[in-house]
Amino acid sequence: MSDERHPGVDGPLFKRALLGSLSWLSANHEEVNRLNVFPVPDGDTGTNMLLTLQSAVEDIKESNAAEVSKIAKLASHGSLMGARGNSGVILSQIFRGFARAVEGKSSLSPAELATAFEEAANAAYRAVNKPTEGTILTVAREAGRSAAAAAGSPDATVPSVIAAAAAGARAAVLKTPSQLQILRDAGVVDAGGFGLQIILEGMLKTVEESESSLANLAASRPVALPAASQVAVDLPEGGWGYCTEFLIEGTNLDLDRIKNQIEALGNSVLVVGEPELVKVHVHTDDPTRVITLAGGHGKLLKLNVGDMSTQHRRILEDASQAAGAPRSNGVGVVAVVAGKGLVEIFRGLGVDAIVEGGQTMNPSTQDMLTAIESVPYEEVVLLPNNKNVILAAKQVLGLTKKHVHVIETHSVPQGVAAVVAFRGDRSGVENIAAMKAEAERVQTIEVTHAVRDTRSNGLKVKKGDVIGLINDKLEFAGTEYGEVVNKALSKLGADSYELVTVYRGEGASDDELNQLESDIRSTHPGLEIEVQQGGQQHYPFILSVE
Amino acid sequence: MKRSFAVVTDSTADLPNAWRERFDIEVVPLKVLFGEETFRDGVDMNNEEFFARLATSTKLPTTSAPSPGEFAEVYTRLAKDHDGCISIHIGRQLSATVESARVGAQSVEGFPVSVIDSQTVTMPMAFLCRVAAECATLDEATAAVEKRIPSCRVLALLDTLRYIEMGGRVSRAQSMIGTMLDLKPLLLVVDREIKPVDRVRTRSRAIPRMVEFFEKDMPVEHVGVVHAQAPEEAALIAADLRRRLPDLEVPVGQIGCVLGTHAGPKALGVVYIKK
Repeated sequence: MSDERHPGVDGPLFKRALLGSLSWLSANHEEVNRLNVFPVPDGDTGTNMLLTLQSAVEDIKESNAAEVSKIAKLASHGSLMGARGNSGVILSQIFRGFARAVEGKSSLSPAELATAFEEAANAAYRAVNKPTEGTILTVAREAGRSAAAAAGSPDATVPSVIAAAAAGARAAVLKTPSQLQILRDAGVVDAGGFGLQIILEGMLKTVEESESSLANLAASRPVALPAASQVAVDLPEGGWGYCTEFLIEGTNLDLDRIKNQIEALGNSVLVVGEPELVKVHVHTDDPTRVITLAGGHGKLLKLNVGDMSTQHRRILEDASQAAGAPRSNGVGVVAVVAGKGLVEIFRGLGVDAIVEGGQTMNPSTQDMLTAIESVPYEEVVLLPNNKNVILAAKQVLGLTKKHVHVIETHSVPQGVAAVVAFRGDRSGVENIAAMKAEAERVQTIEVTHAVRDTRSNGLKVKKGDVIGLINDKLEFAGTEYGEVVNKALSKLGADSYELVTVYRGEGASDDELNQLESDIRSTHPGLEIEVQQGGQQHYPFILSVE
Repeated sequence: MKRSFAVVTDSTADLPNAWRERFDIEVVPLKVLFGEETFRDGVDMNNEEFFARLATSTKLPTTSAPSPGEFAEVYTRLAKDHDGCISIHIGRQLSATVESARVGAQSVEGFPVSVIDSQTVTMPMAFLCRVAAECATLDEATAAVEKRIPSCRVLALLDTLRYIEMGGRVSRAQSMIGTMLDLKPLLLVVDREIKPVDRVRTRSRAIPRMVEFFEKDMPVEHVGVVHAQAPEEAALIAADLRRRLPDLEVPVGQIGCVLGTHAGPKALGVVYIKK
């Protein structure tokens, strides 16, 4: 099939294609982020996919392998290690399926490429417990089908197969609102599916190297319908956690202007280069915002929001210093937590290592693996403490020799309940049972502001409204914290509970806290209230009810 | 046959009210100091007054051991109609009382005093007094008591960590209670140490945990329930234990000032001597 005019997909070509996907996704990931169906400031799908893809490409950059199988294998491994969020994990499974399908092959004919796309989709379906249509899975499958159909044509070429895959993906993405009620309600297409479409388009762009076809693609891209703006994040006095580095490629780039803008978002700012290519380095607490801003100037290359691992290591070291004598049961505990106060609380409860992350910065599988390996125990309990981290956490199971148990804690209160139940003199099995039971017993109320107008769970929500979630489910919207919290407590049946623990986020003022306390007291006088400084972002209050 | 030796303890034994008369036990009070004011534990200040004052006091009260002179007075008085005495006191790790008793005893000539460091606090001391009171001779009593010291247990459920932390008896850094969360710690006083054995967020769940822990530690020779201003809960626990252990008395006692200072209001305890 491969001849001079229509070469097959070999190692170097696949490598270029993936690099093309990365730069196309980094230029567009913010649009993917805007497709968040939930009005809560959640883990951003675009950022998660970008970081996963970045990790997939990491080792490939250095590889000169001639065989497509070798490049695919590196991508599979890299994406698995860097998988963040649910879409990131599924993306890693797509790479895994692709790598399996091309095993032993040095180059792919158009037909073999189409088969590999189909196998990639199959692997993604297998990886998910209950596959849902209208998601990235559907988009992957439709891309594969479309590619297979194109490969059946006698004059099929590699670009035509990839073009068909991208077109199939695009058509599937546009159909997602008809498949999923939540997308329809929110008036958006599926974010993960859209991310996959962009990845395929980036491949096509590289393979075709044709500007005209790209212009068409850009025109046909479904722009996120209501353009919700980013959540405003107040930068803390002390923070600047993430070392963020990238290149901006463009024309007439204004170095001073970029520098001023970046300086407002972090410190240790370095902006150097030419009007066509600028290198940026910054320590920031909000890399997403920096990337978004820079993306407005041109194409981003060599994006690295790395060095989160350095921060993890620092935290891990602190934790291991704080730890006392080794535990008699040989079981360690690792928790995913964000927020200074919450980190202290988990550490104080005896957690051996903390992986910083959670709500909007979902940690990668690699981050969690590193933490697990750092703990001096062969048996480790891992607490994801966020529903968007659970799937990535489960990927760790196949990557370590240690015996890891993931307790599927969806929230901070569940995580705290689980850790409180942990005892150093009890076996792993006994601890898991007790921790699970405690986590399931506690009720979680999360209070935040809607980041966009939406309808969800039969509720009309305006951007900026106070919204209350009970156990991950949006239940109430209003204008006052106390009102929303009291409704949530009443719904839970506050009379059958004893204690409310309020974890105060960094966005809540003293007045707001006092007002909330007195509101709860007057409506539910039977409840004991305990206030803890959580320091979490985005959620002014997280409440644990038990 | 009436025994010829006396049984002495101190106010930290939290002796059930009726036992003083029933077993003829002499109680020497420790002192409680709120700032400049000094009170004799259980004499000048009862438990209700103490806890009311503790709740409003910004600084923890301190306690001091009875002086050797006070012990000497008691022993001298008892020497008139007894030929010896066993004097059972709060563990040396918690108070200087046992040293005071020893010094006091030396000043009373011709009256043998067997001073016992119980290594524990609260009602297990009362159980030891009862064991002694039921012996025929001082030697027998001393041997019987010493044999049981390693088997004494105090299983305490604190309602808050605040008091024990302020008192410096257990630091937050100590293993499982090292947190800013207000946990209800379940502590076991054994072998001169305070060991955390469990931690629970709410009281209604903590009480069954305490009973469960106790059941795993059975069989026991004596068991009782102590409380700091929580008589209803203590009565419920005691009734539950009596159902399980119909042959035992299961007395209920109030945690006095000394332990109360560190345990804080609403503390509950199951106290026992293992078989």
